[in-house]
Amino acid sequence: MVQAMETINMSFLTDSERELILGVLNRDEELRRLEEQRVKRLKAELLDIRRKGAKRSNGNYSEHSCGRCQEPLGRLAANTNQCPVCKHKVCRNCRTVRANGFWLCSVCAKEADIKKSTGDWFYDQRVNRFSTAPGHDLVRASIRKRPPTKKRETTGEVLLNSPDLNSSQTLPVPRPRLKDLALGNKSPSSKHLQQSNTDLAENASLCSSRADSDSLSSTPSTQRNEGVNRLSGTDSTVLSMSSPIKTHSPSGSSASTETSSLVHQINTCPESLNDDDGLFKKSVRRVHKISDFKPVSVVDVRYDMTENTAASMGDRSKSVPGLNIDEEEEEEDIDNLVSIHRRTVGEGTTNLRGSSGTLGSMMSVYSEAGDYDIVDVSGDIVFSLHYDERMQSLSVLVKECRGLAYVAKKKCNPYVKSYLLPDKSRQSKKKTAIKRNTINPSYNERLKYSISRSQLMSRTLQLSVWHHDRFGRNAFLGEVEIPMDCHDIDSGQEECVTLQGKVGNSLTLSAFSQYKGELVISLKYVTETKAAGEKPRGKKAKVEDGGELHVLIKEAKNLCAMKAGGTSDSFVKGYLLPSTGKSSKKKTQVVKKTVNPHYDHTFIYKDVCLEYLKGMCLELTVWDREAMSSNDFLGGVRLSSGAVRLKEGKQEWVADSTGEEVSLWQKMMQFPDSWAEGSLPLRSSMGTRE
Amino acid sequence: MAKADQRFGQRDGSDQNFDYMFKLLIIGNSSVGKTSFLFRYADDSFSNSFVSTVGIDFKVKTVYRNDKRVKLQIWDTAGQERYRTITTAYYRGAMGFILMYDITNEESFNAVQDWATQIKTYSWDNAQVILVGNKCDMADERVIPVEKGKHLADQLGFEYYEVSAKENINVRQVFERLVDIICVKMSERMDTDPSIISGAKTTRLTDKPTQLPQNCC
Repeated sequence: MVQAMETINMSFLTDSERELILGVLNRDEELRRLEEQRVKRLKAELLDIRRKGAKRSNGNYSEHSCGRCQEPLGRLAANTNQCPVCKHKVCRNCRTVRANGFWLCSVCAKEADIKKSTGDWFYDQRVNRFSTAPGHDLVRASIRKRPPTKKRETTGEVLLNSPDLNSSQTLPVPRPRLKDLALGNKSPSSKHLQQSNTDLAENASLCSSRADSDSLSSTPSTQRNEGVNRLSGTDSTVLSMSSPIKTHSPSGSSASTETSSLVHQINTCPESLNDDDGLFKKSVRRVHKISDFKPVSVVDVRYDMTENTAASMGDRSKSVPGLNIDEEEEEEDIDNLVSIHRRTVGEGTTNLRGSSGTLGSMMSVYSEAGDYDIVDVSGDIVFSLHYDERMQSLSVLVKECRGLAYVAKKKCNPYVKSYLLPDKSRQSKKKTAIKRNTINPSYNERLKYSISRSQLMSRTLQLSVWHHDRFGRNAFLGEVEIPMDCHDIDSGQEECVTLQGKVGNSLTLSAFSQYKGELVISLKYVTETKAAGEKPRGKKAKVEDGGELHVLIKEAKNLCAMKAGGTSDSFVKGYLLPSTGKSSKKKTQVVKKTVNPHYDHTFIYKDVCLEYLKGMCLELTVWDREAMSSNDFLGGVRLSSGAVRLKEGKQEWVADSTGEEVSLWQKMMQFPDSWAEGSLPLRSSMGTRE
Repeated sequence: MAKADQRFGQRDGSDQNFDYMFKLLIIGNSSVGKTSFLFRYADDSFSNSFVSTVGIDFKVKTVYRNDKRVKLQIWDTAGQERYRTITTAYYRGAMGFILMYDITNEESFNAVQDWATQIKTYSWDNAQVILVGNKCDMADERVIPVEKGKHLADQLGFEYYEVSAKENINVRQVFERLVDIICVKMSERMDTDPSIISGAKTTRLTDKPTQLPQNCC
């Protein structure tokens, strides 16, 4: 976010002023870090409460039982006991009366309270805003940036720097509010005009500054503009968006990188799509090679139930060939992972050595995403724990394992991996050496964690045993979890614990048992417009495929930190299942150095029929971008109308969407042409089982 | 998962012991007394010497209102024009504003309208504003009568106080009032409209009647 964000010109600051402000920023950062921890704790608490006793969409519950405590309900008051928020019917004991006399069920009441405590009641609205970047990020990013050299100074910057710039209203940096722009009715027209100018200046400066940054993270702000266009449909922003670019016409084939990515965006407005499909596609084709970054990905998913999969595959592959050609290759490993994982899950079988030549810690990525070979777990692990008060560190002495299971062909190269849950970041991950060809490995290795005793009390030590396969996938051999708060960590006594399979009978539960943050998205089903009749040419005229599914990926909150400094470089990837083809796959840009990234990116699935969405499933996964190795899985959501049976090739599996994942999906289908927005808790695993 | 309750229980540090956290911003022309006002409130100190604030600064103070501990992060901004790009960046995210002028300085009063416009432009919705006339101890040099301040506040829809950082008049009251009206706003949002709580809200953006595709596919 910081990299790609608009910046303030700070060149006017003297070095000592810069120092002073940096000092303040550092104090603020510390405060915000503490606050983030507090918010994280509160949300974990809420998640826990939400899970407890609540009816799940796919469970078999009596219509006449309370949605919270599951006590039978009286039959009389059937219509008056529905919680206005979650729509569960709840008994009197599970209600909390709020101000203004209305009541909520205990869980929704708690949720409201937590929104107050976290400040989300106020901050949540920022997702609807033109500018979403918090000021502190902006200032920090700007102050770090050296003043631009004269050579690159553009009209925009001159404008920004010009001393006679009229102060109070044309200040260029923070963006005007969406409301003002969109409605324009409250503000006098002169102000409106000035704001457009402001935008112009901003865009001009953005274009120039983009030259400095790498093209990968190029145009987040224009994207925002585009989002606004779609939302409000005002013309003023369109104008101001395009004006600073000289050669923005779609036919300008020799356009520079910046320009073409802008062209791309301008063309991806739905209006222009409807108006002239062919033109759009042409421009995409021209653009895709130079811009390896796509703000709005538009692909056909012509999914037809009557066709067999192969046929629809063929159809799909025709559409927008190689749109994301550059990313395809580096992303293939994740695709592999997803498809392999699903195959394994679907069949419930073991050992699919599909991915080739993936090594080392990549394996644990697979396991984190819920994908690994499964063997019958057996054996014990012997270890001892000791907390060193002086060093403030926990030392885990992994002594040995006994009687582990063989994977296949009498192979077993076991190693032990540990986490101090709920932290699943790299800092928390430790591994022993790999022992070759033994089911009774002896390690005698110390894994050390520097952590205060009080912090440790809130953690759970997880020791898992894995078979390391040099060429295939690692296999899970068993694990133990030791909650630190009720364990003797002072004696250093040797313990022998029987290894368990992956905990949790219901994966639904375990997938949510860890707070991995949230994903804020907005869904809209766009019905086919009247334009369908007017569509001038060719096969398009006869299309009865239906409309489009728009998935606006707004932001994620409280992601796990994977990189040093407590940040992540994250992006979101989406599939509209059952299709897993390239056309179904969409990605946002990578937002760097934040655990609260704003993506503001729209996935558009074209030619999707509303009727069929009931049988489809939208999977969004968040990944930490790793340049030198594979990306790390940060969490995911699975949206569908509940326990939907999905067929992928020959495999069949059942989606396990729950709670808001279901309600949001249904809202989207219920109200076409309007945005359904929601904040969904991220699953810690995408594994699913029947 | 009953464990998680214990895990995340009462183990916070002392300064994390609060219910809500509000971010407030003090704005207004240079030398109206924003920094003095903040120092009086946060440290109960006052100095007659004038030091211009560089860009931005903040102080933290926890208040107890309506049975809740509210931690305030109060941003003090530079009034000087040259820092304006920095200070306006902090408007977003601020839940409450103290817009200050100096009752002995007409120019600072005349600028209030502009400051209000800035708030409208750059802040997020639901931000609350109090108009404050500082230096009310300097009766001899007063140029802006109370009524005039009150009238402007009414026009702008803000609450209004006259204060003195030097004599410690109404300083605490302004902050507490601001906390109160933010709390009211919060309750309004969270306790009246159920859709906000769920986070999944559906907004109709088009007013044209939408038809489901009749016989698609």
